[in-house]
Amino acid sequence: MIAYLTTIMTLVSIAVLIAFALNVQWGMCGMVNFGLAGFVALGAYTTALISLNGGGFFVSVFAAIIVCAVMGAIVSLISMRLSEDYLAVVTLGFGEIIRLVTLNEGWLTGGALGLPGIPRPMIDVIGTDHYEVFFLGICVVIVGIVFAGLEIATRGPFGRSLRAVRDDDLVASSLGKNVLLLRVKAFAVGGGITGIAGSLQAFQFSYIDPSQFTAIMTAYAFMAVIAGGQGSHRGLILGACSVMFLLEATRFLKDVVDVLDNSQIAAIRLILIGAGLILLLIFRPQGLLREYRLKAPKSSPSSADSTAT
Amino acid sequence: MGQLLINGLGTGLIVALPSIALSLSFGILKFPNFAIGAMLTTAAYIAWSLNIHAGLPLLAAGALCIILFPMVALLCDAAVFRPLRSRGPVTLLVASMGLSFVLDNVCRLIFGNDARNFDIALSRPYRVWGLRINYELLVSAGVSIGAMILVFLILKHTSIGRAMRAVADNPNLAAARGIDAKRVIAATWILAGVLIAASGVLIGMDRAIDPQLGWNYIIVCFAAAILGGLGNPAGAVFGALLLGVVGELATLVVATNYRSGVGFLVIALVLLSRPNGLFGTREIVK
Repeated sequence: MIAYLTTIMTLVSIAVLIAFALNVQWGMCGMVNFGLAGFVALGAYTTALISLNGGGFFVSVFAAIIVCAVMGAIVSLISMRLSEDYLAVVTLGFGEIIRLVTLNEGWLTGGALGLPGIPRPMIDVIGTDHYEVFFLGICVVIVGIVFAGLEIATRGPFGRSLRAVRDDDLVASSLGKNVLLLRVKAFAVGGGITGIAGSLQAFQFSYIDPSQFTAIMTAYAFMAVIAGGQGSHRGLILGACSVMFLLEATRFLKDVVDVLDNSQIAAIRLILIGAGLILLLIFRPQGLLREYRLKAPKSSPSSADSTAT
Repeated sequence: MGQLLINGLGTGLIVALPSIALSLSFGILKFPNFAIGAMLTTAAYIAWSLNIHAGLPLLAAGALCIILFPMVALLCDAAVFRPLRSRGPVTLLVASMGLSFVLDNVCRLIFGNDARNFDIALSRPYRVWGLRINYELLVSAGVSIGAMILVFLILKHTSIGRAMRAVADNPNLAAARGIDAKRVIAATWILAGVLIAASGVLIGMDRAIDPQLGWNYIIVCFAAAILGGLGNPAGAVFGALLLGVVGELATLVVATNYRSGVGFLVIALVLLSRPNGLFGTREIVK
Protein backbone atom coordinates (compact mmCIF):
# COMPACT_ATOMS: atom_id res chain seq x y z
CA MET A 1 0.00 0.00 0.00
CA ILE A 2 2.85 2.38 0.84
CA ALA A 3 4.50 1.47 -2.45
CA TYR A 4 1.23 2.11 -4.28
CA LEU A 5 0.77 5.49 -2.60
CA THR A 6 4.37 6.47 -3.31
CA THR A 7 3.95 5.67 -6.99
CA ILE A 8 0.67 7.56 -7.18
CA MET A 9 2.19 10.59 -5.46
CA THR A 10 5.12 10.56 -7.87
CA LEU A 11 2.74 10.44 -10.81
CA VAL A 12 0.71 13.27 -9.30
CA SER A 13 3.88 15.37 -8.99
CA ILE A 14 4.66 14.83 -12.67
CA ALA A 15 1.06 15.63 -13.59
CA VAL A 16 1.21 18.77 -11.46
CA LEU A 17 4.29 19.90 -13.39
CA ILE A 18 2.52 19.38 -16.72
CA ALA A 19 -0.46 21.28 -15.37
CA PHE A 20 1.86 24.11 -14.23
CA ALA A 21 3.12 24.34 -17.78
CA LEU A 22 -0.40 24.54 -19.16
CA ASN A 23 -1.25 27.09 -16.52
CA VAL A 24 1.49 29.42 -17.69
CA GLN A 25 0.48 29.02 -21.32
CA TRP A 26 -3.29 28.82 -21.05
CA GLY A 27 -4.25 29.87 -17.54
CA MET A 28 -2.13 32.98 -17.46
CA CYS A 29 -1.62 33.86 -21.09
CA GLY A 30 -4.72 32.41 -22.76
CA MET A 31 -2.93 30.17 -25.27
CA VAL A 32 -4.27 26.65 -25.68
CA ASN A 33 -1.73 23.84 -25.97
CA PHE A 34 -3.20 20.54 -27.17
CA GLY A 35 0.29 19.15 -27.77
CA LEU A 36 1.36 18.92 -24.13
CA ALA A 37 1.89 15.17 -24.34
CA GLY A 38 4.21 15.76 -27.29
CA PHE A 39 6.28 18.24 -25.31
CA VAL A 40 6.51 15.84 -22.38
CA ALA A 41 7.58 13.08 -24.75
CA LEU A 42 10.22 15.37 -26.23
CA GLY A 43 11.58 16.05 -22.75
CA ALA A 44 11.49 12.39 -21.80
CA TYR A 45 13.28 11.23 -24.94
CA THR A 46 15.89 13.97 -24.65
CA THR A 47 16.60 12.95 -21.08
CA ALA A 48 16.60 9.26 -21.93
CA LEU A 49 18.98 9.62 -24.86
CA ILE A 50 21.41 11.80 -22.95
CA SER A 51 21.48 9.70 -19.81
CA LEU A 52 21.74 6.46 -21.81
CA ASN A 53 24.83 7.97 -23.42
CA GLY A 54 26.44 8.75 -20.10
CA GLY A 55 25.03 12.17 -19.23
CA GLY A 56 24.30 12.84 -15.56
CA PHE A 57 20.98 13.73 -13.93
CA PHE A 58 21.43 17.48 -14.02
CA VAL A 59 22.84 17.54 -17.53
CA SER A 60 19.98 15.50 -18.96
CA VAL A 61 17.24 17.41 -17.14
CA PHE A 62 18.79 20.71 -18.16
CA ALA A 63 19.00 19.58 -21.77
CA ALA A 64 15.33 18.53 -21.70
CA ILE A 65 14.36 21.96 -20.37
CA ILE A 66 16.32 23.76 -23.08
CA VAL A 67 15.05 21.54 -25.94
CA CYS A 68 11.42 21.84 -24.87
CA ALA A 69 11.65 25.57 -24.22
CA VAL A 70 13.16 26.24 -27.64
CA MET A 71 10.57 24.00 -29.29
CA GLY A 72 7.81 25.80 -27.40
CA ALA A 73 9.07 29.13 -28.68
CA ILE A 74 9.21 27.85 -32.26
CA VAL A 75 5.75 26.27 -32.16
CA SER A 76 4.21 29.42 -30.74
CA LEU A 77 5.97 31.57 -33.33
CA ILE A 78 4.38 29.63 -36.21
CA SER A 79 0.91 30.77 -35.33
CA MET A 80 1.61 33.99 -33.50
CA ARG A 81 0.42 36.16 -36.28
CA LEU A 82 -3.04 34.69 -35.75
CA SER A 83 -5.54 34.06 -33.06
CA GLU A 84 -5.51 31.34 -30.42
CA ASP A 85 -7.65 29.00 -32.52
CA TYR A 86 -4.79 28.36 -34.91
CA LEU A 87 -2.33 27.76 -32.10
CA ALA A 88 -4.58 24.97 -30.83
CA VAL A 89 -4.39 23.27 -34.23
CA VAL A 90 -0.65 23.80 -34.56
CA THR A 91 0.05 22.35 -31.12
CA LEU A 92 -2.20 19.39 -31.86
CA GLY A 93 -0.22 18.81 -35.06
CA PHE A 94 3.06 19.20 -33.19
CA GLY A 95 2.03 16.49 -30.73
CA GLU A 96 1.13 14.23 -33.64
CA ILE A 97 4.51 14.82 -35.33
CA ILE A 98 6.36 13.96 -32.13
CA ARG A 99 4.28 10.78 -31.82
CA LEU A 100 5.05 9.82 -35.42
CA VAL A 101 8.76 10.47 -34.99
CA THR A 102 9.02 8.48 -31.76
CA LEU A 103 7.11 5.61 -33.39
CA ASN A 104 8.93 5.50 -36.69
CA GLU A 105 12.50 6.61 -36.11
CA GLY A 106 13.57 3.34 -34.53
CA TRP A 107 17.30 4.08 -34.80
CA LEU A 108 16.89 7.00 -32.43
CA THR A 109 13.87 6.28 -30.24
CA GLY A 110 13.52 2.52 -30.34
CA GLY A 111 10.18 2.87 -32.15
CA ALA A 112 7.16 1.24 -30.52
CA LEU A 113 9.44 -0.77 -28.24
CA GLY A 114 10.77 2.38 -26.64
CA LEU A 115 13.97 3.00 -24.75
CA PRO A 116 14.63 0.68 -21.79
CA GLY A 117 17.25 0.86 -19.07
CA ILE A 118 17.36 4.57 -18.36
CA PRO A 119 19.67 4.87 -15.33
CA ARG A 120 17.83 6.31 -12.33
CA PRO A 121 19.72 9.07 -10.54
CA MET A 122 21.81 8.01 -7.52
CA ILE A 123 20.36 4.52 -7.44
CA ASP A 124 23.67 2.95 -6.35
CA VAL A 125 23.91 5.35 -3.41
CA ILE A 126 20.34 4.98 -2.13
CA GLY A 127 19.78 1.33 -2.91
CA THR A 128 16.63 -0.17 -4.35
CA ASP A 129 14.75 -0.65 -1.07
CA HIS A 130 13.80 2.93 -0.40
CA TYR A 131 14.45 4.30 -3.84
CA GLU A 132 10.82 5.05 -4.68
CA VAL A 133 10.46 7.23 -1.60
CA PHE A 134 13.72 9.01 -2.42
CA PHE A 135 12.56 9.67 -5.97
CA LEU A 136 9.24 10.98 -4.72
CA GLY A 137 11.32 13.34 -2.56
CA ILE A 138 13.16 14.60 -5.67
CA CYS A 139 9.85 15.14 -7.47
CA VAL A 140 8.30 17.02 -4.57
CA VAL A 141 11.36 19.27 -4.24
CA ILE A 142 11.26 20.05 -7.96
CA VAL A 143 7.53 20.75 -7.83
CA GLY A 144 8.24 23.04 -4.87
CA ILE A 145 10.96 24.93 -6.75
CA VAL A 146 8.82 25.36 -9.86
CA PHE A 147 5.86 26.41 -7.74
CA ALA A 148 7.91 29.02 -5.90
CA GLY A 149 9.39 30.30 -9.14
CA LEU A 150 5.97 30.58 -10.77
CA GLU A 151 4.43 32.27 -7.72
CA ILE A 152 7.16 34.92 -7.74
CA ALA A 153 6.90 35.39 -11.50
CA THR A 154 3.11 35.58 -11.35
CA ARG A 155 3.11 38.32 -8.79
CA GLY A 156 5.82 40.23 -10.55
CA PRO A 157 5.57 42.31 -13.70
CA PHE A 158 5.93 39.26 -15.97
CA GLY A 159 2.81 37.55 -14.62
CA ARG A 160 0.80 40.76 -14.66
CA SER A 161 1.77 41.45 -18.26
CA LEU A 162 0.81 37.89 -19.26
CA ARG A 163 -2.62 38.27 -17.71
CA ALA A 164 -3.03 41.59 -19.43
CA VAL A 165 -2.29 39.90 -22.77
CA ARG A 166 -4.75 37.15 -21.95
CA ASP A 167 -7.56 39.47 -20.98
CA ASP A 168 -7.10 41.94 -23.83
CA ASP A 169 -4.05 41.86 -26.05
CA LEU A 170 -5.07 45.09 -27.74
CA VAL A 171 -5.00 47.02 -24.48
CA ALA A 172 -1.74 45.36 -23.47
CA SER A 173 -0.04 46.30 -26.72
CA SER A 174 -1.34 49.85 -26.61
CA LEU A 175 0.20 50.14 -23.15
CA GLY A 176 3.54 49.39 -24.76
CA LYS A 177 3.80 45.69 -23.94
CA ASN A 178 5.41 43.54 -26.60
CA VAL A 179 2.56 41.03 -26.93
CA LEU A 180 4.37 38.71 -29.32
CA LEU A 181 7.46 38.48 -27.13
CA LEU A 182 5.36 37.86 -24.01
CA ARG A 183 3.47 35.06 -25.70
CA VAL A 184 6.60 33.39 -27.01
CA LYS A 185 8.16 33.70 -23.55
CA ALA A 186 5.11 32.17 -21.89
CA PHE A 187 5.17 29.29 -24.31
CA ALA A 188 8.89 28.76 -23.81
CA VAL A 189 8.54 28.80 -20.01
CA GLY A 190 5.69 26.31 -20.25
CA GLY A 191 7.76 24.20 -22.65
CA GLY A 192 10.66 24.17 -20.21
CA ILE A 193 8.41 22.93 -17.42
CA THR A 194 7.05 20.12 -19.59
CA GLY A 195 10.69 19.23 -20.23
CA ILE A 196 11.22 18.74 -16.49
CA ALA A 197 8.06 16.65 -16.31
CA GLY A 198 9.28 14.50 -19.19
CA SER A 199 12.66 13.97 -17.49
CA LEU A 200 11.00 12.85 -14.28
CA GLN A 201 8.72 10.53 -16.22
CA ALA A 202 11.72 8.91 -17.90
CA PHE A 203 13.54 8.45 -14.59
CA GLN A 204 10.43 7.22 -12.82
CA PHE A 205 9.74 4.34 -15.20
CA SER A 206 13.37 3.97 -16.36
CA TYR A 207 11.70 2.94 -19.60
CA ILE A 208 9.79 5.08 -22.11
CA ASP A 209 7.75 4.25 -25.18
CA PRO A 210 5.33 6.31 -27.31
CA SER A 211 2.23 4.84 -25.65
CA GLN A 212 3.02 6.64 -22.37
CA PHE A 213 2.45 10.03 -23.96
CA THR A 214 -1.15 10.00 -25.05
CA ALA A 215 -3.94 12.54 -25.21
CA ILE A 216 -5.03 11.50 -21.71
CA MET A 217 -1.95 13.26 -20.37
CA THR A 218 -3.03 16.48 -22.06
CA ALA A 219 -6.64 16.08 -20.99
CA TYR A 220 -5.55 15.47 -17.43
CA ALA A 221 -3.58 18.72 -17.37
CA PHE A 222 -6.55 20.66 -18.75
CA MET A 223 -8.79 19.12 -16.16
CA ALA A 224 -6.37 19.99 -13.34
CA VAL A 225 -6.07 23.60 -14.50
CA ILE A 226 -9.81 24.06 -14.91
CA ALA A 227 -10.57 22.31 -11.62
CA GLY A 228 -7.97 24.31 -9.75
CA GLY A 229 -8.88 27.64 -11.24
CA GLN A 230 -7.08 29.14 -14.21
CA GLY A 231 -4.07 31.14 -13.11
CA SER A 232 -4.01 29.81 -9.54
CA HIS A 233 -1.01 27.57 -8.85
CA ARG A 234 -2.25 26.52 -5.44
CA GLY A 235 -5.68 25.63 -6.73
CA LEU A 236 -4.03 23.69 -9.48
CA ILE A 237 -2.19 21.40 -7.06
CA LEU A 238 -5.50 20.83 -5.30
CA GLY A 239 -7.17 20.24 -8.66
CA ALA A 240 -4.53 17.77 -9.84
CA CYS A 241 -4.78 15.78 -6.61
CA SER A 242 -8.56 15.58 -6.70
CA VAL A 243 -8.60 14.60 -10.36
CA MET A 244 -6.06 11.86 -9.69
CA PHE A 245 -8.14 10.67 -6.76
CA LEU A 246 -11.22 10.49 -8.95
CA LEU A 247 -9.34 8.59 -11.65
CA GLU A 248 -7.67 6.17 -9.30
CA ALA A 249 -11.06 5.43 -7.78
CA THR A 250 -12.19 4.07 -11.17
CA ARG A 251 -9.46 1.43 -10.86
CA PHE A 252 -11.50 -0.20 -8.12
CA LEU A 253 -14.60 -0.18 -10.28
CA LYS A 254 -13.40 -3.49 -11.67
CA ASP A 255 -13.78 -5.14 -8.28
CA VAL A 256 -17.38 -3.97 -8.02
CA VAL A 257 -18.57 -4.55 -11.56
CA ASP A 258 -16.76 -7.56 -12.96
CA VAL A 259 -18.41 -7.52 -16.37
CA LEU A 260 -16.10 -4.72 -17.44
CA ASP A 261 -12.72 -5.52 -18.94
CA ASN A 262 -9.62 -3.36 -18.80
CA SER A 263 -10.18 -1.43 -22.00
CA GLN A 264 -13.72 -0.63 -20.90
CA ILE A 265 -12.44 0.69 -17.58
CA ALA A 266 -9.95 2.82 -19.51
CA ALA A 267 -12.81 4.10 -21.68
CA ILE A 268 -14.87 4.97 -18.59
CA ARG A 269 -11.96 6.93 -17.16
CA LEU A 270 -11.65 8.97 -20.33
CA ILE A 271 -15.41 9.56 -20.43
CA LEU A 272 -15.16 10.81 -16.85
CA ILE A 273 -12.31 13.14 -17.79
CA GLY A 274 -14.16 14.53 -20.80
CA ALA A 275 -17.46 14.93 -19.01
CA GLY A 276 -15.75 16.37 -15.94
CA LEU A 277 -13.99 18.92 -18.12
CA ILE A 278 -17.24 20.05 -19.70
CA LEU A 279 -19.15 20.12 -16.41
CA LEU A 280 -16.43 22.15 -14.71
CA LEU A 281 -16.37 24.61 -17.60
CA ILE A 282 -20.13 25.01 -17.37
CA PHE A 283 -20.70 25.03 -13.62
CA ARG A 284 -17.46 26.12 -12.01
CA PRO A 285 -15.42 28.07 -14.52
CA GLN A 286 -13.56 29.92 -11.80
CA GLY A 287 -12.23 26.62 -10.35
CA LEU A 288 -11.58 25.77 -6.73
CA LEU A 289 -9.33 28.73 -5.97
CA ARG A 290 -9.19 32.15 -7.54
CA GLU A 291 -6.05 33.39 -9.20
CA TYR A 292 -3.91 35.89 -7.36
CA ARG A 293 -5.12 39.45 -7.67
CA LEU A 294 -3.87 42.67 -6.22
CA LYS A 295 -6.49 43.73 -3.73
CA ALA A 296 -8.04 47.08 -4.37
CA PRO A 297 -7.87 49.24 -1.27
CA LYS A 298 -11.23 49.21 0.44
CA SER A 299 -12.80 52.62 0.57
CA SER A 300 -13.22 53.49 4.22
CA PRO A 301 -16.73 54.29 5.46
CA SER A 302 -15.75 57.85 6.34
CA SER A 303 -14.69 58.70 2.80
CA ALA A 304 -17.88 57.11 1.50
CA ASP A 305 -19.85 59.36 3.82
CA SER A 306 -17.98 62.43 2.69
CA THR A 307 -18.73 61.72 -0.96
CA ALA A 308 -22.40 61.15 -0.11
CA THR A 309 -22.83 64.52 1.50
CA MET B 1 1.62 8.88 -60.66
CA GLY B 2 -1.84 8.91 -62.20
CA GLN B 3 -2.88 6.29 -59.69
CA LEU B 4 -1.64 8.43 -56.81
CA LEU B 5 -3.53 11.39 -58.24
CA ILE B 6 -6.77 9.41 -58.33
CA ASN B 7 -6.28 8.03 -54.81
CA GLY B 8 -5.47 11.51 -53.59
CA LEU B 9 -8.57 13.04 -55.15
CA GLY B 10 -10.64 10.20 -53.64
CA THR B 11 -9.26 10.89 -50.16
CA GLY B 12 -9.66 14.60 -50.73
CA LEU B 13 -13.34 14.23 -51.65
CA ILE B 14 -14.03 12.28 -48.46
CA VAL B 15 -12.12 14.76 -46.30
CA ALA B 16 -13.83 17.68 -48.01
CA LEU B 17 -17.16 16.96 -46.27
CA PRO B 18 -16.01 17.27 -42.64
CA SER B 19 -13.79 20.17 -43.68
CA ILE B 20 -16.84 22.02 -44.99
CA ALA B 21 -18.62 21.20 -41.73
CA LEU B 22 -15.67 22.52 -39.76
CA SER B 23 -15.38 25.67 -41.80
CA LEU B 24 -19.12 26.32 -41.71
CA SER B 25 -19.41 25.83 -37.97
CA PHE B 26 -16.35 27.99 -37.39
CA GLY B 27 -17.86 30.76 -39.46
CA ILE B 28 -21.14 30.76 -37.58
CA LEU B 29 -20.33 29.48 -34.09
CA LYS B 30 -16.92 31.20 -34.00
CA PHE B 31 -14.94 28.37 -32.49
CA PRO B 32 -12.95 25.46 -33.95
CA ASN B 33 -14.78 22.25 -33.19
CA PHE B 34 -12.20 19.70 -32.14
CA ALA B 35 -14.94 17.14 -31.58
CA ILE B 36 -15.28 16.74 -35.34
CA GLY B 37 -13.09 13.64 -35.36
CA ALA B 38 -15.05 11.96 -32.59
CA MET B 39 -18.27 12.87 -34.40
CA LEU B 40 -17.00 11.07 -37.51
CA THR B 41 -16.27 8.00 -35.41
CA THR B 42 -19.70 8.12 -33.79
CA ALA B 43 -21.45 8.46 -37.14
CA ALA B 44 -19.49 5.53 -38.58
CA TYR B 45 -20.47 3.34 -35.61
CA ILE B 46 -24.13 4.34 -35.86
CA ALA B 47 -24.16 3.33 -39.51
CA TRP B 48 -22.26 0.16 -38.70
CA SER B 49 -24.70 -0.99 -36.04
CA LEU B 50 -27.64 -0.20 -38.36
CA ASN B 51 -25.89 -2.20 -41.06
CA ILE B 52 -24.81 -5.21 -39.00
CA HIS B 53 -27.17 -5.40 -36.02
CA ALA B 54 -30.33 -4.09 -37.63
CA GLY B 55 -29.46 -5.87 -40.85
CA LEU B 56 -30.19 -2.95 -43.14
CA PRO B 57 -28.35 -2.78 -46.46
CA LEU B 58 -25.51 -0.28 -46.35
CA LEU B 59 -27.34 2.27 -48.47
CA ALA B 60 -30.34 2.31 -46.11
CA ALA B 61 -28.10 2.25 -43.04
CA GLY B 62 -26.10 5.18 -44.39
CA ALA B 63 -29.23 7.15 -45.23
CA LEU B 64 -30.74 6.51 -41.79
CA CYS B 65 -27.46 7.52 -40.18
CA ILE B 66 -27.53 10.78 -42.13
CA ILE B 67 -31.02 11.42 -40.74
CA LEU B 68 -30.18 10.35 -37.17
CA PHE B 69 -26.78 11.93 -36.76
CA PRO B 70 -27.85 15.60 -36.96
CA MET B 71 -29.95 14.88 -33.87
CA VAL B 72 -26.80 13.70 -32.08
CA ALA B 73 -25.10 16.91 -33.18
CA LEU B 74 -27.99 19.01 -31.86
CA LEU B 75 -27.89 17.07 -28.60
CA CYS B 76 -24.17 17.74 -28.24
CA ASP B 77 -24.82 21.41 -28.86
CA ALA B 78 -27.59 21.55 -26.26
CA ALA B 79 -25.56 19.68 -23.65
CA VAL B 80 -22.13 21.20 -24.16
CA PHE B 81 -21.94 24.27 -26.33
CA ARG B 82 -25.17 26.14 -25.61
CA PRO B 83 -24.39 26.68 -21.88
CA LEU B 84 -20.94 27.98 -22.85
CA ARG B 85 -21.98 30.10 -25.84
CA SER B 86 -21.22 33.44 -24.22
CA ARG B 87 -17.84 32.43 -22.88
CA GLY B 88 -15.46 32.97 -25.73
CA PRO B 89 -13.87 30.70 -28.32
CA VAL B 90 -11.07 29.32 -26.12
CA THR B 91 -13.50 27.90 -23.56
CA LEU B 92 -15.60 26.41 -26.35
CA LEU B 93 -12.67 24.77 -28.05
CA VAL B 94 -11.51 23.21 -24.78
CA ALA B 95 -15.07 21.99 -24.22
CA SER B 96 -15.10 20.51 -27.73
CA MET B 97 -11.96 18.54 -26.83
CA GLY B 98 -13.79 17.27 -23.74
CA LEU B 99 -16.75 16.28 -25.87
CA SER B 100 -14.42 14.45 -28.21
CA PHE B 101 -13.11 12.34 -25.30
CA VAL B 102 -16.64 11.49 -24.26
CA LEU B 103 -17.84 10.50 -27.75
CA ASP B 104 -14.71 8.51 -28.64
CA ASN B 105 -14.81 6.54 -25.46
CA VAL B 106 -18.52 5.91 -25.44
CA CYS B 107 -17.87 4.23 -28.81
CA ARG B 108 -14.94 2.32 -27.31
CA LEU B 109 -17.03 1.28 -24.32
CA ILE B 110 -19.87 -0.04 -26.44
CA PHE B 111 -18.04 -1.45 -29.45
CA GLY B 112 -14.59 -2.29 -28.10
CA ASN B 113 -11.22 -1.66 -29.73
CA ASP B 114 -11.58 -4.19 -32.56
CA ALA B 115 -11.75 -2.98 -36.13
CA ARG B 116 -15.17 -3.48 -37.75
CA ASN B 117 -16.25 -3.55 -41.35
CA PHE B 118 -19.49 -2.85 -43.14
CA ASP B 119 -21.23 -5.78 -44.71
CA ILE B 120 -20.30 -5.07 -48.33
CA ALA B 121 -19.21 -7.41 -51.04
CA LEU B 122 -15.66 -6.95 -52.23
CA SER B 123 -15.62 -5.89 -55.83
CA ARG B 124 -12.92 -5.97 -58.45
CA PRO B 125 -11.62 -2.49 -59.25
CA TYR B 126 -12.40 -1.08 -62.69
CA ARG B 127 -9.52 -0.52 -64.98
CA VAL B 128 -9.45 2.64 -67.04
CA TRP B 129 -6.30 3.40 -69.03
CA GLY B 130 -4.34 1.14 -66.75
CA LEU B 131 -5.54 2.91 -63.60
CA ARG B 132 -7.37 1.04 -60.87
CA ILE B 133 -10.60 2.66 -59.79
CA ASN B 134 -12.48 1.09 -56.90
CA TYR B 135 -16.23 0.86 -56.83
CA GLU B 136 -16.06 2.46 -53.35
CA LEU B 137 -14.09 5.36 -54.77
CA LEU B 138 -16.82 6.06 -57.33
CA VAL B 139 -19.53 5.85 -54.67
CA SER B 140 -17.72 8.15 -52.30
CA ALA B 141 -16.89 10.62 -55.04
CA GLY B 142 -20.54 10.65 -56.10
CA VAL B 143 -21.86 11.05 -52.58
CA SER B 144 -19.46 13.78 -51.58
CA ILE B 145 -19.89 15.79 -54.78
CA GLY B 146 -23.66 15.46 -54.36
CA ALA B 147 -23.45 16.59 -50.75
CA MET B 148 -21.30 19.56 -51.69
CA ILE B 149 -23.70 20.70 -54.38
CA LEU B 150 -26.56 20.39 -51.90
CA VAL B 151 -24.72 22.45 -49.28
CA PHE B 152 -23.86 25.21 -51.70
CA LEU B 153 -27.41 25.31 -53.07
CA ILE B 154 -28.72 25.61 -49.51
CA LEU B 155 -26.24 28.34 -48.65
CA LYS B 156 -26.90 30.35 -51.82
CA HIS B 157 -30.57 29.91 -52.54
CA THR B 158 -32.60 29.32 -49.39
CA SER B 159 -33.57 31.87 -46.80
CA ILE B 160 -31.93 29.89 -43.99
CA GLY B 161 -28.76 29.65 -46.06
CA ARG B 162 -28.74 33.40 -46.59
CA ALA B 163 -29.34 33.86 -42.85
CA MET B 164 -26.39 31.59 -42.11
CA ARG B 165 -24.11 33.56 -44.36
CA ALA B 166 -25.33 36.78 -42.81
CA VAL B 167 -24.57 35.56 -39.28
CA ALA B 168 -21.16 34.32 -40.38
CA ASP B 169 -20.43 37.69 -41.92
CA ASN B 170 -21.58 39.91 -39.10
CA PRO B 171 -23.60 38.49 -36.19
CA ASN B 172 -24.58 41.87 -34.77
CA LEU B 173 -25.84 43.21 -38.04
CA ALA B 174 -27.73 39.96 -38.65
CA ALA B 175 -29.34 40.18 -35.21
CA ALA B 176 -30.29 43.79 -35.90
CA ARG B 177 -32.02 42.68 -39.09
CA GLY B 178 -34.12 40.26 -37.03
CA ILE B 179 -32.37 37.02 -37.97
CA ASP B 180 -33.03 34.42 -35.28
CA ALA B 181 -29.60 33.29 -34.12
CA LYS B 182 -30.99 30.14 -32.45
CA ARG B 183 -32.50 28.96 -35.71
CA VAL B 184 -29.31 29.64 -37.62
CA ILE B 185 -27.22 27.76 -35.06
CA ALA B 186 -29.59 24.78 -35.17
CA ALA B 187 -29.44 24.79 -38.97
CA THR B 188 -25.65 24.90 -38.84
CA TRP B 189 -25.48 21.84 -36.60
CA ILE B 190 -27.96 19.97 -38.76
CA LEU B 191 -26.02 20.74 -41.92
CA ALA B 192 -22.71 19.89 -40.23
CA GLY B 193 -24.30 16.71 -38.85
CA VAL B 194 -25.40 15.60 -42.32
CA LEU B 195 -21.95 16.22 -43.77
CA ILE B 196 -20.17 14.47 -40.91
CA ALA B 197 -22.54 11.49 -41.06
CA ALA B 198 -22.07 11.08 -44.81
CA SER B 199 -18.33 11.32 -44.50
CA GLY B 200 -18.25 8.97 -41.50
CA VAL B 201 -19.99 6.30 -43.56
CA LEU B 202 -17.64 6.86 -46.52
CA ILE B 203 -14.56 6.66 -44.32
CA GLY B 204 -15.98 3.47 -42.80
CA MET B 205 -16.26 2.04 -46.32
CA ASP B 206 -12.78 3.18 -47.23
CA ARG B 207 -11.10 1.65 -44.20
CA ALA B 208 -12.04 -0.30 -41.09
CA ILE B 209 -14.09 1.30 -38.33
CA ASP B 210 -12.32 1.59 -34.99
CA PRO B 211 -12.38 4.14 -32.14
CA GLN B 212 -9.34 5.88 -33.66
CA LEU B 213 -11.11 6.50 -36.97
CA GLY B 214 -11.93 10.16 -36.49
CA TRP B 215 -8.72 11.01 -34.69
CA ASN B 216 -6.78 10.25 -37.87
CA TYR B 217 -8.76 12.86 -39.75
CA ILE B 218 -8.77 15.79 -37.32
CA ILE B 219 -5.48 17.29 -38.39
CA VAL B 220 -6.10 16.89 -42.10
CA CYS B 221 -9.60 18.40 -41.73
CA PHE B 222 -8.21 21.41 -39.92
CA ALA B 223 -5.41 21.68 -42.43
CA ALA B 224 -7.93 21.70 -45.28
CA ALA B 225 -10.16 24.25 -43.58
CA ILE B 226 -7.24 26.53 -42.71
CA LEU B 227 -5.83 26.19 -46.22
CA GLY B 228 -9.11 27.39 -47.64
CA GLY B 229 -9.45 30.05 -44.97
CA LEU B 230 -11.47 29.08 -41.88
CA GLY B 231 -15.08 30.04 -42.38
CA ASN B 232 -14.95 29.65 -46.15
CA PRO B 233 -16.65 26.34 -47.10
CA ALA B 234 -15.72 26.47 -50.80
CA GLY B 235 -12.10 27.06 -49.86
CA ALA B 236 -12.26 24.02 -47.59
CA VAL B 237 -13.17 21.81 -50.56
CA PHE B 238 -10.19 23.06 -52.50
CA GLY B 239 -7.96 22.64 -49.46
CA ALA B 240 -9.13 19.08 -48.93
CA LEU B 241 -8.52 18.08 -52.56
CA LEU B 242 -5.10 19.72 -52.58
CA LEU B 243 -4.14 18.02 -49.31
CA GLY B 244 -5.40 14.66 -50.53
CA VAL B 245 -3.24 14.86 -53.63
CA VAL B 246 -0.22 16.32 -51.82
CA GLY B 247 -0.55 13.63 -49.14
CA GLU B 248 -0.48 10.86 -51.76
CA LEU B 249 2.31 12.42 -53.80
CA ALA B 250 4.33 12.97 -50.62
CA THR B 251 4.56 9.21 -50.22
CA LEU B 252 6.96 9.32 -53.18
CA VAL B 253 9.35 11.36 -51.05
CA VAL B 254 8.72 10.51 -47.38
CA ALA B 255 7.75 7.26 -45.64
CA THR B 256 4.01 6.45 -45.72
CA ASN B 257 3.95 6.57 -41.92
CA TYR B 258 4.42 10.31 -42.06
CA ARG B 259 1.43 11.00 -44.30
CA SER B 260 -0.52 12.72 -41.53
CA GLY B 261 2.55 14.79 -40.78
CA VAL B 262 2.27 16.31 -44.26
CA GLY B 263 -0.99 17.97 -43.24
CA PHE B 264 0.75 19.61 -40.34
CA LEU B 265 3.60 20.81 -42.52
CA VAL B 266 1.10 22.35 -44.93
CA ILE B 267 -0.65 24.16 -42.07
CA ALA B 268 2.64 25.51 -40.81
CA LEU B 269 3.68 26.75 -44.25
CA VAL B 270 0.31 28.33 -44.99
CA LEU B 271 0.12 30.03 -41.60
CA LEU B 272 3.58 31.47 -42.09
CA SER B 273 3.03 32.72 -45.61
CA ARG B 274 -0.69 33.39 -46.02
CA PRO B 275 -2.29 33.61 -42.57
CA ASN B 276 -5.83 33.89 -43.90
CA GLY B 277 -5.71 30.88 -46.17
CA LEU B 278 -5.08 30.77 -49.88
CA PHE B 279 -8.18 32.79 -50.74
CA GLY B 280 -8.36 34.84 -47.57
CA THR B 281 -8.45 38.58 -47.81
CA ARG B 282 -6.07 40.42 -45.57
CA GLU B 283 -7.67 41.46 -42.36
CA ILE B 284 -6.47 44.52 -40.60
CA VAL B 285 -4.35 43.11 -37.82
CA LYS B 286 -4.35 45.04 -34.63
